[in-house]
Amino acid sequence: MAKQSKQPMSRALQRRENIAGYLFMLPCLIFFIGFVVIPMIICILTSLTDTNMHDPGLIGGSFIGLDNFVRLWGDKDFLAALKNTFVIVIVSVPTVCAFSLWVSSAIYKMKGPVLSAFRCIFYLPVVTGSVAVTVVWAWMYNNYYGIFNYVLKGLGLIEGRINWLGDERFALGCIILILFTTSVGQPIVLYVSALGNVDTTLIEAAQVDGATEMQVFWKVKWAQMMPTTLYILVITTINSFQCFALIQLLTKGGAGTDTVMYRIYWTAFKLTEQAGHFGYANAMGVVLAIFIGLLSAVQFKLAKEK
Amino acid sequence: MKMKKIVAAALAAAMALSLAACGGGQKPAQSTPAASTPASSTPAASTPAPAGATEITAWIYPVGGWSNEADVKPLIDQFTADTGIKVNLEWLAYADGDDKVNTAITAKKAPDLIMEGPERLVANWGAKGYMVDLSDMIDATDKSEINAAALAACTSADGKVYQYPMFITAHCMGINLDAFKAAGADQYLNLDNHTWTTEGFIKAVEALYAKKGDTVAAIYCKGQGGDQGTRALINNMYGGTFTNAEHTAYTWDDPNNIKALEQLKNMKGIAFDASLEGGDELKLMYQEILDMAFCWNIAQQLDPASAHGDPGKTMNGQEIVCMNFPSPDGTPVLQGGIWGLGIFNNGDDAKIEAAKQFVKYFCDSEHAADAAKISNFFSARSAAEGTDLSNIFADNAIMTDYNKVILPNLGDYYQITKGWAGARTEWWNMLQKVGKGEDIAASVAEHVANANAAAAG
Repeated sequence: MAKQSKQPMSRALQRRENIAGYLFMLPCLIFFIGFVVIPMIICILTSLTDTNMHDPGLIGGSFIGLDNFVRLWGDKDFLAALKNTFVIVIVSVPTVCAFSLWVSSAIYKMKGPVLSAFRCIFYLPVVTGSVAVTVVWAWMYNNYYGIFNYVLKGLGLIEGRINWLGDERFALGCIILILFTTSVGQPIVLYVSALGNVDTTLIEAAQVDGATEMQVFWKVKWAQMMPTTLYILVITTINSFQCFALIQLLTKGGAGTDTVMYRIYWTAFKLTEQAGHFGYANAMGVVLAIFIGLLSAVQFKLAKEK
Repeated sequence: MKMKKIVAAALAAAMALSLAACGGGQKPAQSTPAASTPASSTPAASTPAPAGATEITAWIYPVGGWSNEADVKPLIDQFTADTGIKVNLEWLAYADGDDKVNTAITAKKAPDLIMEGPERLVANWGAKGYMVDLSDMIDATDKSEINAAALAACTSADGKVYQYPMFITAHCMGINLDAFKAAGADQYLNLDNHTWTTEGFIKAVEALYAKKGDTVAAIYCKGQGGDQGTRALINNMYGGTFTNAEHTAYTWDDPNNIKALEQLKNMKGIAFDASLEGGDELKLMYQEILDMAFCWNIAQQLDPASAHGDPGKTMNGQEIVCMNFPSPDGTPVLQGGIWGLGIFNNGDDAKIEAAKQFVKYFCDSEHAADAAKISNFFSARSAAEGTDLSNIFADNAIMTDYNKVILPNLGDYYQITKGWAGARTEWWNMLQKVGKGEDIAASVAEHVANANAAAAG
């Protein structure tokens, strides 16, 4: 009897809570739909057209099917940009993860103020504006008066100057180095937090059973940090795929540093005399999104198996 | 429970408010002006403005002294005072100005007025039908007063004038004369008429390199900024061309250009530098790191690297001299710069009329003298409504000298060739490949073909 009278009240309460929940979500949802979902749909639709700046409407131009995608695979510049993008991802994702794991393991047991100081140091490049960071790096890399050439020449390691950002042999590596410094901050903070939350009873149990430090780390701590690692992998992969500001500010895609994101911008907004560039640029965007999606799925799958 | 409701209602209200704040209210279809006329300026409308169009927007590329707000604002304030038309000014940067304009066109928010050159106003936006034909503003007297080459460059193939020319210059190169003297390279310069031969240029670079053992000059190729300098150098060295005379095709696969590229590539002291653009190069010259700058003109000579130092001097006071580009017999053909005003057709006749008043005021009235004078370039016309513009820099020795030895060598304004934006991209990409050591003839052929293919549409 008591159960019967409680049921309708509970449903009403549930409904009220649902409504309140959705209302709280509404502002974010409006932004998410307006600035993420709808543009994504427009991007996909436009990639199937030859839309350009002269066409009216959100999806102007004529429907051309998969022509843009077919054209992409014969576009030498796009393929070079795709290759560079993959190089950035392949180099930067593992190094960022490994380095941040190493730093975190070294500092997470430190006392409060020291730990905070380290966290600040590593997080500073993340919160500093990318333009400011890039300007400083551009000065350090400068071919004529940069500090790297000055120091290396002073130490007798090089004879002439190295054109860090103007020479294909070095430019992409220089970009990856900057990306690395701006990417490690968040993973370090996350790993420090994850290491601090590892269940100490499990560690103690492993130690009682005679496990070495390395065994404790890989068999106990690492396993418990897997969700954090997965998050870091996915976020770093997406950031690396979307490398744009550094290229725009430092090399403008020259010296073998073109990336897909920069090529999208270039195709959409720079080559204004050529028709079909919005559609073509969006096709590049769709291809990039597919690659990011595939790689993230693989990472999820591997982490789940682990 | 009641308290919870109140808190929930307050939170919801706060969120709704923040949403509304983020959304912003309805604004007039105008850009945010970087420097609009001050609120204190009280227009005394001596000439009534067209009804409904007392406010227009003007986007200005940083053309010579027109990049300096302190010089431009008084002229605009005076215009507002005289006509009652308020002008919202925004300065664009060459790095991303085109992106902003193109985005604005796509969003149907183009400015009413724009200041730049024919390669954008005529060959690009004019050809695409975004600009207003200004030919009704140019009568027979104007035609006799305006520099014929400048007016031709501002006129489309079908006779429409999309740009009212304001000022012109000839791009040249700058050299550090003190460095030349120290290396004994000044013997290759003809300082009477500021010319030198290609052979003299090669020997001068050799002498300078022997003296300093480091880069003398850079073929900058990070992007398109200042590319008129590298084009002019390479075209002039052995008499090559960039386009055909009809401006219908790109011809920089001319064997004379390939010869010049091979020569430059093999010269110690000349670096193909993909980390520099024109603006970076002239700063390095100003800092005395490089001894020559190919991205030079009279505005630079008056204010080197826009550093507001002494005219014609490096940062440490060494003397900079304007030179014509080297050519086989010392008779160069220089690249021109022609700048002026164009009006976007935004479908508002009143605004177009107000914009035309602006054009008339600064291009064809006694105020044209002030407009040209602050630009640090030469007026594109000899006179305007009875005001003599041919002698406005008579009190300036540098300008007088430039007018005598550089400006007469002004050549064909080929920047209006179809597909110009794409061709510029092909040019600096090609220079990067040459710098990397790829086969010069093959690189040139590939990029010229790309430029012509893009131009063909």
